[in-house]
Amino acid sequence: MLLIARGARWCSLSALLIASLALPALAKDTVKIAFIGPLTGGNSALGIGGRNSADLAVRLRNADPKLRYRYELVMLDDECKPDTGVQVATKAAADRSIVAGVTHYCSVVAVATVDTYHKLGLPTVVWGAVLPDVTYGHKYPEIHRVNGTMINQNETAANFMFQQGYRTWAVIHDTTDYGKGHNKYFSENINKLGGKITSTFGVTADQQDFTAELTQIKSQKPQALYFGGLTPIGVRIRQQMDKLGLDAQFQGTSGILSDDFIRGLGTLAEGTLAFREGAPLEKLPGGKFFAEKYAEQKYGSAAEAYGPFAYAAANLLIDTIEKTGPDRGKVIAELATVKDKDSIVGKITFDDHGQNTVAIITKYVVQDGKWVPWEDSEYASGKRKLKGK
Amino acid sequence: MNIGLLGQYVINGMMLGMMYALVAVGFSLFFGVLDVIQFSHGDVVTGGAFAGLAVYLGLRGVLHSSSLLLVLVLMGAVVAMALLGIAIARGLVLPLRSAPALNTLLLTLMAGTVLRESIRLFFPNGSQPQRFPPLLSERAIALGSLTLRVDNLLLLAAGATLIGGMHLFITRTRLGLAIRAVAQDEETARTSGIPFRKVVLLTFAIGSVLAAFAGVMNGLYYNEINFGMGLLLGVIGFSAAVLGGLGNIYGGILGGFLFAGLQTVGAVALPLASAYKDVFAFGVVILLMAWRPTGLIGERASERV
Amino acid sequence: MEPNRGFSNRLAALALVAIATAGAAALLWVESDRAILILLLGIAIVAFGAGRIGILASLMQKALQQRRTIGTGAFLGILLVGFVFREDHFSLFLIGRVLLITLACLGLHLEFGAAGVVNFASAAFFGVGGYTAAVLSARTGIPHLLVLVSGGCASALIGSLLLLPLLRTRGHYAALITIAFGLLFRTFVEVNDSLGGPQGLKLNGFKFLGLQFNDELAAGPIHASFYENYVLLASVLVAIAFVLVQRLESSWLGLALDAIRLDEVAAASFGFEVARWKILAFTLGNFLIGVAGALSAFMVGFLAPNNFTFPESLTLVSIVLLGGIGNAWGLAVAAFLVVLLPEKLQILQEYRYLLYAGLVILILRFRPAGLIPRPMRRYLGHSA
Repeated sequence: MLLIARGARWCSLSALLIASLALPALAKDTVKIAFIGPLTGGNSALGIGGRNSADLAVRLRNADPKLRYRYELVMLDDECKPDTGVQVATKAAADRSIVAGVTHYCSVVAVATVDTYHKLGLPTVVWGAVLPDVTYGHKYPEIHRVNGTMINQNETAANFMFQQGYRTWAVIHDTTDYGKGHNKYFSENINKLGGKITSTFGVTADQQDFTAELTQIKSQKPQALYFGGLTPIGVRIRQQMDKLGLDAQFQGTSGILSDDFIRGLGTLAEGTLAFREGAPLEKLPGGKFFAEKYAEQKYGSAAEAYGPFAYAAANLLIDTIEKTGPDRGKVIAELATVKDKDSIVGKITFDDHGQNTVAIITKYVVQDGKWVPWEDSEYASGKRKLKGK
Repeated sequence: MNIGLLGQYVINGMMLGMMYALVAVGFSLFFGVLDVIQFSHGDVVTGGAFAGLAVYLGLRGVLHSSSLLLVLVLMGAVVAMALLGIAIARGLVLPLRSAPALNTLLLTLMAGTVLRESIRLFFPNGSQPQRFPPLLSERAIALGSLTLRVDNLLLLAAGATLIGGMHLFITRTRLGLAIRAVAQDEETARTSGIPFRKVVLLTFAIGSVLAAFAGVMNGLYYNEINFGMGLLLGVIGFSAAVLGGLGNIYGGILGGFLFAGLQTVGAVALPLASAYKDVFAFGVVILLMAWRPTGLIGERASERV
Repeated sequence: MEPNRGFSNRLAALALVAIATAGAAALLWVESDRAILILLLGIAIVAFGAGRIGILASLMQKALQQRRTIGTGAFLGILLVGFVFREDHFSLFLIGRVLLITLACLGLHLEFGAAGVVNFASAAFFGVGGYTAAVLSARTGIPHLLVLVSGGCASALIGSLLLLPLLRTRGHYAALITIAFGLLFRTFVEVNDSLGGPQGLKLNGFKFLGLQFNDELAAGPIHASFYENYVLLASVLVAIAFVLVQRLESSWLGLALDAIRLDEVAAASFGFEVARWKILAFTLGNFLIGVAGALSAFMVGFLAPNNFTFPESLTLVSIVLLGGIGNAWGLAVAAFLVVLLPEKLQILQEYRYLLYAGLVILILRFRPAGLIPRPMRRYLGHSA
């Protein structure tokens, strides 16, 4: 008798359990999208900006009742290190409940992880890495990118500097593929225009002391110093330039286009030049909208240079999943057909390598503690002067 | 290579050498007194730098005089690290005196890791490089193609004074005598009435003070500090101490400047990329160890068989 | 020995293995943070309670008398877990990593726990194996199994370069040499472009007898993730290494190494050729570490200088310490926990170095013998 009673109790309990598990199924299914970026370390400002932007996209879309699914952003930190990136990418791609990924700001990591995504079949859209090889170094259908590559960036940079009257440069670049890529494209363009590169130095991405390199550069007296690398060592180089009395114009790439660069240098940052693909936020088609909505959420840190791209990438994925359902294979197939799709950064079209073309390159200069587009700055109007000429 | 360039390299080398020497002397002190290698010493340098930074961040709204801030920053760093050094000695090193040396080595290595990770995790934005305020004068004297910055000279002078002061303390004061006695022979020192524990704690405090100073110096020189800076500094400091002979303070100083010299030579004179300078310096250290296992000047300790 | 005694010992051994396997599978299975914490708490309570009552100690004592049963049982347990999770990419990946880290730590255990040779560059030797595998598999047609062996040999060879300074020094000096080497290695591969530089190197999948390891494993209706291949190979390697290390320990060789570790001078005065045994332990240890590094490179498909830093070496050393110096089984358990927990508990991921270091400090301070202390050596065969 007791046994039967016990048995009956177990049955009813399990029935209840199963029923409670089934209930959520009546609500919308949750679809997971991964966001991967440098959330700690020297580039964390840009990573967190991207994360917040992607989060904004997901929130805004989730508020729309007409959507088929509810979206959840799984945030992972790649620390801007290739090994951590591969580990985290394996984790995301191996998790079958994650349907797609908005991935990577650091080119070093993006290049390292393409094989992982391909092996495990996760469709991804890159939001911040600019190395061409990330999309052009292979023919994997999983990898796409909404932001531009460094090729155009360096061409515009070279032309601009030439116009401004610079003829001699020293180059310092980091020894990752990112820095080497910048060096390659910039040098090519300078040589084409007839400028002269006095010396080139490769440094490690975490090097502390640049006095040896800068002392040698100082003796050659170039007009400008081109830096192909990221914010942490950009800050150190600019600082040590000042300590050694090296008076050349500091010219960087999109890698230093962050508030942390200015914070790290204080007044020393004044007058630094940098370049980036894409129009400045205010001039983007969805720029004002993005800025307003971002401010509403009170994130506590800025969206930074590539936030809008992360936002656009997340939205693109959501649109795609709405159309195809949470099936990785179908998402990959659908992403291949993206053409002239509207987004806050303009129209997105993926070429046969999954690369979006971003035509405009914006020039920036640091003025009074902020990155200001060149045309709007007092340097362009002649009120302030660049160094080294 | 002109004189100006050469001069610049010499000054750079001396700055590095001074910082390494300060750390190396700490290692020698600890070893001399307790036969222990305190591997967390490098991270104490980082701790000193961050403690100083914290003092600055806390006080900069209130005080505006650079020199006063500098003094307070230094004091804050020094006091904090002296306390930390004493805590490590009391809690970790002294209790394990009779355990195999390997255990103490591992213990201090782990303690260093705990310190480093704590800074990274608990200091606001700890994982990023932090800007260290330029509290020294920014003037520079130009001598031809050589630019001498006043703050570099001040730092060099301060470091030299500190080491000189330490030397005087060790050789001319009673406390210094007590330290030397304990370093030579613990038992005899104790039977002579020297308060062993107090002397050991004092030694650790002194060593940590040197480390804190090196940390603040590092911050003032590079205008930047990050949580990982102590790791390499610690290994280099230890290498330098060993090069000169563990337990020998002057050996430590020699080793520090020697290592800096190796690095500078490696960066400049070799046809390889300057990035290889660490490889070069460490390679030489390993070779030297193979040739003279007890260091160049020789260790001042005997081993009980 | 009475048949009853042997049987109850065997039962104890099997029981332990079964519990361990179940625990491992459970930890791998749960997903949410809360579930894991509850599970861990449960395991801790059970372990503590069992320890208090004394069941644990007596079970272990009985079990350790039946080494072979434990060994075969554990091997089967691993295969079982591998089968249960055959479709789950990430769990298999983790299992693979645990196995390979165990292999590397076995090598470290030989150097450290057996011979007392301190090696703080274990991550570097792991890296030597990995880079050898990457370069050989990309540039030559050497069969991959041989590449694994080459990885081990390369590690052993490079290790032998350090032997001269290592043998001439003692204690902290030796530590310095290995630490310096570790840093040297990392800087070297970072600045050296032919080894990929900071960008690292990629590897294609492991190939064995025509079987492409990066392809899905399929046998009839059973499908398994491609990581299963690596798990199987790694299990075999670990099993071989384990047997090797156990045999070594119970032989005269092991005795010599123990003597050297405990008191070098005494051992020398008893006629042990200290240098020779140290060389053996160091070289063999590095060989194992190198092989582990090579296979790990194949499995992950990628390696970069940042994988082989000083904190990584310290992590491997922590595993040997946490498991109890000289205790191979404790090592395996420690490796499992150290690799798995940060992956499962996201909070731990950030704090993991802090945690390991803290744990090691606690253990060294209060329980220097480790989590599962090593049993005393028995000289007269299986005694009561």
